[in-house]
Amino acid sequence: MVKLPSIHIGKLSLLLSILVWLGLLFVDLVRLFGMINEINSGISDEITWILEILFFFTLYGFYSYSIGKNIQSDFLNLLWRGASTGIFASGVALLIELFYLSLGDNKLATEPFLKNFFYHVNFALTTVFLISSALLWKHLILYQKSKQVVKQWQAFEFAMLVAMFFVFFNKNNFDYSFLFGMVILLVISAVLSGNLKWIPYLTFKEKWKSLLFLFIILICIGYLFRRFMAYSEAETYQVNLTDNLFLMALFGFIFIYAIFSFLVTLFNLPTSSVFEQKLTEAINFQRLSQSIQPGENEEQVLDILLDSCMSASYSDAAWIEINPEEQKTGANQLRFLDEPTKNELSELIKTHKSATEWASTDHPEMLQALAIRLAHPRYESTLLVPLVINKTAIGRIVLCKEVRDGFNKEMVNIISTFVRQACIAVENHRLLNQAILNERYQEELKIAQRVQKALLPTKLDHPKSFEICAFSNAADEVGGDYYDTFKLDENRYVLIIGDVSGKGTSAAFHMSQMKGVFHSLIQLNLSPSQFMIKANSALSKCLGKNHFITASIFIIDTAEKKICHSRAGHIPTLLFKAKEATSEFMLFDGLGLGILRNKQYENHVQEKTFTYESGDILVLITDGIVEAKNQKGQQFGFERIRSLVEIHHAKSPNEIQTQLIDSLHVFVGGVRMIDDDYSMMVVKFNNDN
Amino acid sequence: MLRLEKSTENKIEILSLFGEVDASNSVILDEAIQELVDGGAKSIIVDGEKLDYISSAGLGVFMSYLEDFNDKGISMKICGLTPKVHEVFKILGLDQLIPIYEDRAAASAS
Repeated sequence: MVKLPSIHIGKLSLLLSILVWLGLLFVDLVRLFGMINEINSGISDEITWILEILFFFTLYGFYSYSIGKNIQSDFLNLLWRGASTGIFASGVALLIELFYLSLGDNKLATEPFLKNFFYHVNFALTTVFLISSALLWKHLILYQKSKQVVKQWQAFEFAMLVAMFFVFFNKNNFDYSFLFGMVILLVISAVLSGNLKWIPYLTFKEKWKSLLFLFIILICIGYLFRRFMAYSEAETYQVNLTDNLFLMALFGFIFIYAIFSFLVTLFNLPTSSVFEQKLTEAINFQRLSQSIQPGENEEQVLDILLDSCMSASYSDAAWIEINPEEQKTGANQLRFLDEPTKNELSELIKTHKSATEWASTDHPEMLQALAIRLAHPRYESTLLVPLVINKTAIGRIVLCKEVRDGFNKEMVNIISTFVRQACIAVENHRLLNQAILNERYQEELKIAQRVQKALLPTKLDHPKSFEICAFSNAADEVGGDYYDTFKLDENRYVLIIGDVSGKGTSAAFHMSQMKGVFHSLIQLNLSPSQFMIKANSALSKCLGKNHFITASIFIIDTAEKKICHSRAGHIPTLLFKAKEATSEFMLFDGLGLGILRNKQYENHVQEKTFTYESGDILVLITDGIVEAKNQKGQQFGFERIRSLVEIHHAKSPNEIQTQLIDSLHVFVGGVRMIDDDYSMMVVKFNNDN
Repeated sequence: MLRLEKSTENKIEILSLFGEVDASNSVILDEAIQELVDGGAKSIIVDGEKLDYISSAGLGVFMSYLEDFNDKGISMKICGLTPKVHEVFKILGLDQLIPIYEDRAAASAS
């Protein structure tokens, strides 16, 4: 919808300009016919001028549209466009001139209508060339737009507009006012012609091409101008189209800008290699400073680095040495050098005292590039550049040149910058990999956490005759505390609580082993002490050298209201007797599991049987609770647990547990202040069976 | 925080512990004992008079040498434990395996 009318603007203005030109031709020929036949055709000069201005406008419209459409085209394309139009206009003009030359004294040579026709053709093509070139120049001038340049250009366009209408009061006379206008326009043109910022961006080859095109344009301008001058001297043309201030100023403008461009390009030729070099360096720098993309590796960065350093210093040979401990893949990278020569050079470098001192520095981060002379038949100077990543030298780049003292300060500076940038890229790459790895470990730990949570029972086996609840919290993602229940038969239930030495991942693995041992052995209908003996023997084969597990096991017989209990190094369990309203921690001999890994263990484990009554409470805990410390360094201890249970004994197990945990948290001063796993299981016996 | 001090008295290596032994520094204790073993010590007394706390990881260190010492005929004694630390040894049952004495004199006399 939006595009449709814009397509028509180009075609429409072209069509209009052709029509206007035809109209102009017709009007002039009719006037000529009238003059020859001495009839007043009644067509005034103003009509011609109006048509001429219209022609200028429509052409301007067409070209600003068509050049604006190809705005992406590069400078050479633009110049070629101008040059080709110039060649065409000049070619046609030349053909017309040759045509008249060949006619000689033929009658046709003085035929006024034909002459006028060709005059109009010449006029049209030259105008096309001038206006299109002016618009091309506009493009070049406004290449690096600044407010000032845009204003200058607008002023120029306005002055040109005025110049178009100048003909109405000047009547095409070459007088002082014409000269005055011409001088003003030429001054503005000269000022605008200072904007040549596009030239440095041409490569050396492009500069040569643009020189050629500019030369063609200059030739065309010269030739066409000469033709115009020839026309204005001839008397055969009643209304002069070409002695127009607008056209003359355009000639001036295009000529001045072309000559400026030509000269500046010419003088820029010798320095263009420096500019190109800087541009390459900037691009290399940018490539190096890009973080390493996924799929790329450090070698590729070092590859780019080596190339960049070589091109920045015009080195004849180079290699990268990576320290053996950093070497991950592939051999050292060699450039324009074979292995024997490289070894030869390495040996030579080693003989230099400054180089060996340089290589054995204690502060690699302070290391500068070092240039040394070599007594090698081919390579006479070399530059050592350290590769320092994360304050350690991972290797060095060695650049060699065939000339003595071949590395100047600028080269060393730019190379050092390259190396620093590349090292940062590599460092970032490594950090990123590290971060990704850490992220993965975190994920794995989360999975471990989920798996471990699932190892603790969600539903605790118990009959109506006792209530039970349990709680566990790990200091890290995973922990080593364990509790479980098992229903042996209708009347017999097993409770177990365990604590693996240490905490964290290793403890978590052993905790899962404990669960396996518990569920295997408990099916064998063992007594508590027999269970501990078997568990010790099994775990002795599983646990690491300095790991052990403490556990307490209870087999509750609800029919006989008896509990058989064995303790393997575990924190004593609190038994609250409701009848006497007293409580005690049941401490008796019992060695931790995995401490004594032989038959001797049997002598170190006991079992106790006791009866219970309704209202009695068992509180199974792990050492994380007893040993939890407050800010003063005091432990929560056994006594606080005992008194809390005695105070709250009438409550449900859940309430007692909440009470204990809350008190613990208040004591230590926050939920996250306990740096050990802590667990608890509370059992309360009911009145009914 | 754990600080270790080593001394020799009548061919008995004395390892004094100051502060706390927990999971983070139990390695230091382990290295110290290993050093004594490597040095050919035949009799070691661990002085726990200034030991405020020992975690299960610390107990694991002592435990891990039991068998080794038995095989090599090295005697290890512990002395001067505070009641709290002593109780930790007792709860785990380590007091049945490692002789624990009131003080250094009692330990070296036996």
